[in-house]
Amino acid sequence: MLLLAAGLILFVVLGRGGTLKEIQARGVWRVGMDPSFPPFENYDPVTGGPVGLDVELAHAISEQWGIKTEIVTLGFDELIDAVAAHQVDAAISAMPILPERTEDVRFSDPYVQAGVVLAVRKGSDLAGPAGLSGQGVAVEWGSQGEAAARALRENESIAFELLPRETVTLALDALAAGEADAAIVDAISLAIYTHAGELATVGEPLVSDPYVVVVPADAPDLLKVVNDALRALESDGTLDEIRARWLRPAPS
Amino acid sequence: MTSGMKWRSIAPAAAAALLVLLFVGRAGRPWVEFGPQQRVITTNPKMGVHTRLTDEVEPWKIQRTFEMVREMGATWVVEYFLWAAHEPQRGVYDWSHADLVVDHAVNQGLTVIARLGYVPEWARPKDATHLYLDEEGYAAFARFAAAFARHFEGRVHYIIVWNEPNLSQEWGYRRPDPAEYTQLLRAAYAAIKAEAPQIQVLGGALAPTLAPAGSEWAMDDLVYLQGMYDAGAKDAFDILAAHAYGWTFAADAEPGRDSVNWRRVELLREIMVQNGDGDKQVMITEGGWNDHPRWTKAVRPAQRVANSVAAYDMVLGSWPWVDAVCLWAFRYPRPARTYQDYYTFVDGDFRPKPIYEALQRYAAGQDWRGDQ
Repeated sequence: MLLLAAGLILFVVLGRGGTLKEIQARGVWRVGMDPSFPPFENYDPVTGGPVGLDVELAHAISEQWGIKTEIVTLGFDELIDAVAAHQVDAAISAMPILPERTEDVRFSDPYVQAGVVLAVRKGSDLAGPAGLSGQGVAVEWGSQGEAAARALRENESIAFELLPRETVTLALDALAAGEADAAIVDAISLAIYTHAGELATVGEPLVSDPYVVVVPADAPDLLKVVNDALRALESDGTLDEIRARWLRPAPS
Repeated sequence: MTSGMKWRSIAPAAAAALLVLLFVGRAGRPWVEFGPQQRVITTNPKMGVHTRLTDEVEPWKIQRTFEMVREMGATWVVEYFLWAAHEPQRGVYDWSHADLVVDHAVNQGLTVIARLGYVPEWARPKDATHLYLDEEGYAAFARFAAAFARHFEGRVHYIIVWNEPNLSQEWGYRRPDPAEYTQLLRAAYAAIKAEAPQIQVLGGALAPTLAPAGSEWAMDDLVYLQGMYDAGAKDAFDILAAHAYGWTFAADAEPGRDSVNWRRVELLREIMVQNGDGDKQVMITEGGWNDHPRWTKAVRPAQRVANSVAAYDMVLGSWPWVDAVCLWAFRYPRPARTYQDYYTFVDGDFRPKPIYEALQRYAAGQDWRGDQ
């Protein structure tokens, strides 16, 4: 009885496994995500199930291993702890790398770059932030893009006019319409902007923000096979297809 | 939104911060001048914010945070104090960082609502999460809460016991159980009152959630609160701590058992009244709106501003049963690089966001819309 009680406590404390061997034995990879962040994960209005880039990526990875993916929907803030506590095997949910959590979890190689970028109209002479002096730069009011733009002005002493707009779409509209010379926005909003085809990014991301797969710190074998799978999906073009399907301009 | 979101990443950083402060602290506290005692000038004395200083290392940033809170016109701050950091060994207390935070807040004329939680390794089973505390640990937590009350008597007048216990994650991945939380609350309440009877103990701090019955991850906050009363919680708290997130709804959207919105707190209040607790006050210790461009529970920045102003105004004018409302979150020490960054009022470099400037105008009695 005492042993049984101890076993139950251990189960509660340690959760339900999560190493590669356990996942293979189970035949199911349990992936946590918060389906509230399109185009990465969102509830399909018709089926009610989660859809998006991260959902497809999770399935594509597990298919590499010949097993199924089970999507476990959790609040975003719960994901890292849920992985660390082996409540799920991994989290794929537009997760950034968090250096302060490397004792608890490990982060895969990036599969998407979602940082803040400098956007211009195609054919613009602007080649990077240094050329912004004297130009007009559209940003979404209160956004990370605006913060990056203000940092450029204050820290790099590049004098340009800030043109805040109510939404990121309006900021990009201002650029497309020629009301602004450039826009500083997040890369994903730019990718799905209706007229993205008329715009281009220049220079390195102003803020680098790669999205990664999160696995438990005590499952190094799992991290290795996740990275192997990501490389394989990159090599055979699957990852490009998935990205192209979900990070495309919205219809006008 | 589950508010636990914001604390997932703090443990290692907080430990490092406290190590630095321990070292510096031995030489006294020369890092910044406190300056003369300040006071908040505001048209809304119920206005507050949740700060996030647990892993803020640099004293000047702690001071600057509270200065800017005061300058915005907010009177109340909620701050998290980690049991694991302040009692690293059983019975050995280290208040250096907490003193710094509380003293700077008080110096700026702010009223601190202290949230206690985060279990030290010595008080939980090996490999359990930092939010795991079973019945055997309740007395140890109560002793810590009493020690906190003793140390901060006269400087801290409000203590929140735990956070969002209706979420499995916040309950150490045990199934949420209002009777168990009530046991913890009762133990902490008695211990705090024995040390400092005038300190007001806040219970609840439940995450607004529509979790279905039987969920392993969470329990509906309305069901949970009734469960607390059924377990005898009425005599174990002085004030209900509530979390009120608006998601995509306007501040005045009608509450309903099947909706998470700002006015859901009215339903919590109804449960209090039904259980004979109508004389007790409520404090909103987390809440607000997010304005990320793509998160499905976010609104546009201008809507966030308008909703926040309306929410503060509603509490002031129409909710006499609420003493304070502290919106999440004033500033993060470092960017989260997720939609969570779009809850803040100032960025990591203390640049005010539009919402800060609008609320500053509101608290000053000016037209909060400004020239935008």
